[in-house]
Amino acid sequence: MNQKKVLFGFYVLLLSVMLVAGFVSSAAAVDKPAAAVAAKPINIGALNDMTGATSDVGRDYALGIAEAIHYVNDTGGINGKMIKLHQFDYGYRVPEALTKYKLFQRLGCVAVLGWGTGDTEALSPTVTKDKMPYISASYSGHLTDPKKTPYNLFFATDYSTNARAAITAWFDKKWPKHMDYGKRKPRFACSYMFASPYCSAPIKAIKDQATILGFDIGPDQDVSLFAIDTKSQVLALKEFKADLVWHGNTTMSVSATLRDAYSLGLGADHIINNWGFDENLPKMAAKAAEGAMGAAVCAFFGENVPGMDKVVAYAKKYNPGIPADKRLIRTIQAWGDVLILREALIRADKAGKLDGESILKLGFETMNNYEIGLGAPPITFTATDHRVAGAVPIYEIKDGKFKLVEKVDLKSRWPEKWAKEWIGW
Amino acid sequence: MSTTFLPCGVYHENYKQDHAWWQTKFIKSKMFLLFITLFFIIPWISDSYSLSICNQIGYTILGALGVQLLIGFCGQVTLGHAAFLAVGAYVSTLLVLEFPWPAVFVELGLAYPLSIFIAAIAAGLWCVLFGLPSARVKGFYLILTTMAAQFITVDFIITQYISQIGGRGQAFSLPPGTIKVGPWVIDSDVKVYYMMIVLTIICVVGVVNLLRSRVGRAWVAIRDNDISAEVMGINIIKYKLLAFFVAGFIGGIAGAVWISNLAAISPEHFPWFWSLWLVGVILIGGVGSIHGTIFGSIFMVVVMEALQMAVIPLADTYPKLLMDFLFIKEAAFGLAICGFLIFEPNGLAYRWWQIKNYFNLWPFSY
Repeated sequence: MNQKKVLFGFYVLLLSVMLVAGFVSSAAAVDKPAAAVAAKPINIGALNDMTGATSDVGRDYALGIAEAIHYVNDTGGINGKMIKLHQFDYGYRVPEALTKYKLFQRLGCVAVLGWGTGDTEALSPTVTKDKMPYISASYSGHLTDPKKTPYNLFFATDYSTNARAAITAWFDKKWPKHMDYGKRKPRFACSYMFASPYCSAPIKAIKDQATILGFDIGPDQDVSLFAIDTKSQVLALKEFKADLVWHGNTTMSVSATLRDAYSLGLGADHIINNWGFDENLPKMAAKAAEGAMGAAVCAFFGENVPGMDKVVAYAKKYNPGIPADKRLIRTIQAWGDVLILREALIRADKAGKLDGESILKLGFETMNNYEIGLGAPPITFTATDHRVAGAVPIYEIKDGKFKLVEKVDLKSRWPEKWAKEWIGW
Repeated sequence: MSTTFLPCGVYHENYKQDHAWWQTKFIKSKMFLLFITLFFIIPWISDSYSLSICNQIGYTILGALGVQLLIGFCGQVTLGHAAFLAVGAYVSTLLVLEFPWPAVFVELGLAYPLSIFIAAIAAGLWCVLFGLPSARVKGFYLILTTMAAQFITVDFIITQYISQIGGRGQAFSLPPGTIKVGPWVIDSDVKVYYMMIVLTIICVVGVVNLLRSRVGRAWVAIRDNDISAEVMGINIIKYKLLAFFVAGFIGGIAGAVWISNLAAISPEHFPWFWSLWLVGVILIGGVGSIHGTIFGSIFMVVVMEALQMAVIPLADTYPKLLMDFLFIKEAAFGLAICGFLIFEPNGLAYRWWQIKNYFNLWPFSY
């Protein structure tokens, strides 16, 4: 009985300390926004997925965000002001993301580095209302039209553009070599998790592009982001006799599908959305990944491009426990988003205004062919278009390495459609 | 457990007095203070973050109320309640976005309130469908049928079919201005808060009154011993299904209200984990107690957030603490359930009852 009482007392004490500490720190946090203007640090929020459905690619991205912020602070910060990063794992849960966003507001964050499509799209009207620049790892095409989502930005070409470019590259380079070329239409199907807004974001665009190029479109296959067995979906693709399959998931489940496609003799080629196309894919799918094509929105980790030396050095400095060959293109993607945010903050700060609207108007939307290096396209944001570029490099896996197949310039090839039709979806 | 010790000199002379909600002036004053706190002080002193926490508490209470009714009062264990929240949310969203409401309904802001009611009925009926096996099975077998509700409803029907309506993809967008109640556009945390608090109070009062009625007594009889209840003449199938209907109805309200807090809705909002979470809420709050539902919800939301706020200052020294917080949160959830089951199986509600009685009987509490 005594022991029970002692334990209960301890529990109550622990809880009380926790609550008091929580409320004290929350009260302190409330005071911060007002006081944090002058030479005090600039607060930036970051939402990352280290434990959820997309953690296979989210972990490396999260490490990249922290390393890139260290780099920004080590190289003078924002005109001398340091960035204070508030980085949270939200486990790819939308309600968690909504709460964290409110917390970022309370902490006085001037911008947020976000993650998934579901939460980014869910938060989009809110960030627009709050005028909070939201730089996401979601490259959903729905976030590129400033008329609807003015405060959503990212440094990369969007999923829809990437998907259009990938199917076009296959049509240009692979289909003419097919034995049925000229005899029939190529057959195309999509494999992705229906329930995930990330996976389904470019479906309408890629099917539109398939129609433009004259494909026969087969039934979509629902493959979970957690899938390790996809045989029934692959058999359905086999029944359709697909020539080309687009994969919209992340690396882990894409590799499972490629392995099953290989073992069941599907005989189709594969094009993959960028979050399923990284250094882990040839490692996990081995031979099954050979010939798979995909869009890479920047250079792969360790590639010989401007700025990569810093990325590699900071990865080594801040996360020495992770060998360089385990790091991924996701780190570079994180740096890409941080570097455009840094530039926007510097420009807005020089103009003397570090509020959301100034960061957007005097920062991001003044970037015209701004080079961040790292193999990323020159960045252009305008007040009417948040698609950074119209050309997408498409890579193919050959002997376990990524080889450039073609740089598909959608903007030059379909200028009318690019300018008037394809924005925002 | 709900026994109230009356102060000296207070007598009940009829059943009306005996069954009154608030039996003394002191209790009425406390309730008045609570009303002032809920409707004036909290919205006045809270910022957007605090209000979002309050809204989350409201959502958790509404979600857990149905679970409490099924598990705590009717003895029907459910592990798929998020499915009925999802039904409510989707029916309401579809009605608001797709249904051709007469212009006058839209102008008067009646579309959304009506959609909440229709969504609640739909969720109630859907819940009855998955409650049907309760006529034949109980215990672990019933748990499995309720789990099936989650997978059939969210992962299959909503994901594969409902989400395709309108051709947008998986998420229904709810642009600002879509949700309107009367003349008010629900576009801020404080407006969501008021809507949430009103509906939570209505649902809590409704359930408490139901429990005081013949229906509630039948549910409790079924919970305590279904065979004895049947022997006494209670139609146990009817009352079990009624419990499922009411639980689904309240879950539908929770889902329909929650969409006002979101700008988009997708199946990701209703994971199976949320069903588990709701069961955790009533375990911690106290099974078989409406107070327990409220305390459990407050505990689960506020303590987790307070824990997080406590971690933030430490993050200057240990930056990884923030990133690892989700692990801490999940571990705290598991630990809290274990701790309560071992040390306080009757939950927070029992502690509240003890504290209340200590003061009611003071200074002669022995």
